[in-house]
Amino acid sequence: VKIFQVALGILAAIGGFVDIGDLVFNVSAGATFGYQLLWVVVIGVVGITVYSEMCGRVAAISGKAVFDAVRERLGFKVGLTTLIAAQVVNLMTLTAEVGGVAICLQLLSGLPYRWLIVLAGIAIAVVVWVTSFDWIERIFGYGGLCLLVFAVAAVKLHPVWGAVGHGFVPHIQTESPLLYAYFAVGLLGAAMTPYEVYFYSSGAVEEQWGPKDLGLNKANAMIGYGLGGFLSFALMIVGGSLFLDKGIEPEFLGSIAVGAEVPLGQIGLLLAIVGILFAVGGAAIDTLFSGAYNLAQFFGWEWGRYRAQTGAPRFTLTWIVLLVLAVGAVMTGVDPVQLTEYAVIFSAVALPLTYIPILLVANDRSYMREYANGRLANTLGLIYLAVIVVISLTAVPLLILTNVGQN
Amino acid sequence: VKRGAALGLLVFALAGCNGGTVDKHALKRDSEKVASLATEGELLANDVSKGSSTKYFARVHAKELSRAASDLEDALAERPTVRGIESDVRKLSKLAGKVSDELEQLHLHPTDRSVAESLKQPLMDDADAADELSK
Repeated sequence: VKIFQVALGILAAIGGFVDIGDLVFNVSAGATFGYQLLWVVVIGVVGITVYSEMCGRVAAISGKAVFDAVRERLGFKVGLTTLIAAQVVNLMTLTAEVGGVAICLQLLSGLPYRWLIVLAGIAIAVVVWVTSFDWIERIFGYGGLCLLVFAVAAVKLHPVWGAVGHGFVPHIQTESPLLYAYFAVGLLGAAMTPYEVYFYSSGAVEEQWGPKDLGLNKANAMIGYGLGGFLSFALMIVGGSLFLDKGIEPEFLGSIAVGAEVPLGQIGLLLAIVGILFAVGGAAIDTLFSGAYNLAQFFGWEWGRYRAQTGAPRFTLTWIVLLVLAVGAVMTGVDPVQLTEYAVIFSAVALPLTYIPILLVANDRSYMREYANGRLANTLGLIYLAVIVVISLTAVPLLILTNVGQN
Repeated sequence: VKRGAALGLLVFALAGCNGGTVDKHALKRDSEKVASLATEGELLANDVSKGSSTKYFARVHAKELSRAASDLEDALAERPTVRGIESDVRKLSKLAGKVSDELEQLHLHPTDRSVAESLKQPLMDDADAADELSK
């Protein structure tokens, strides 16, 4: 039974790995640079695995989620700045994901977009209100597995496998190094987006992990995210095999689905849209919860889906307000795909403020006792901290210099 | 926080500056965009002609592509142009309008295989013409 539970958790993690930021940046990177940036995905996946394992372990041993650590380790002022940055990026991401859900529903039903935005908002609220935490995780994780259709599409598009293999070796072969750097930063930002660790660590507290769950934590983080990265490879290979050759700039979520429609026909198209729907729907719920978790943990309110709505009223009110704001923002006509690019780049700026406190707490033996970071976790943690600082400093200049990746 | 908000606004303003005068660089970028929309439209038309798409997907996605081409047509017609490339900009604007109209046909007839078949070659020709203007 235990192995079965672990397998279910891993499957959910694979399906839940990809969100709208990964979809947009992986396919666009493939359409612009072919397979050249596959190595960046590997770096991003290892990074999110290292820090997710760390914050899952902290949650299991100390019962503290990320924003408890932020408040404790950074103090009120810096902590508040981190909170504001995290909430702004969260809201942007949530808005993009809600818009993405509405677009997928429109591609499936043909109904008017604005009605579907409202329907998406109501559907998300109902799911969050009535469904238990682990079922939310599983329903959207399993649904997201439909994205495996892109792995089949990638094979059917007959990429040059030698070039794909070469893509895993860091190299630059372009006349546009700034654009290359912009996509590298975007891919890292999308893979290591902060809401993933907020959600992961808070989820561990929700599920009342203890020391006995450290194996599950490792398996979820390493195998789940590792195999989830496989979906990112597939998306980039589809971008490189189909769109680059034809000079297509995939600007719409529908364009990404075309990547499965061309090699696999109607069934490929439907699986792609359903997969994207579950991936962005699941990410919408993750970001919604993350926003409420962050605020509640920072101000010391009662929080958690397991407490039911009346047990954590301010937590419940926060996610309702965030959802209403996101639905309102999508209704203004903002383009979810463009907003995603801004959200990913701004989240890259906020990365150090999220990851430094995790590293500090994971090293604190007064909390973590014998479960504190070992040499390997610390070495990887510090290397990634350096990477995160570099991408956080370069993200906005690259956004401006490349005109949001346009040239 | 105030400084952060000001920086955010500045970034949005700078990054969003996609209008202004059409110079050679902008003409190249917009030509590539028109070629991209036409090529993607041709892929979609091909799938519709083979029965490999779905009614709602073809209808909605063709409309998205058509609207993007139409927006480019309007922008190219309205924006001031540097001397020497006015004729190419006018050509590209008309071409974007033509692509938009063809994609609108696909939007209106998302299950009609013969309409889709008849749109493939014109869209391919439009993509080639836009590619020429980008050189």
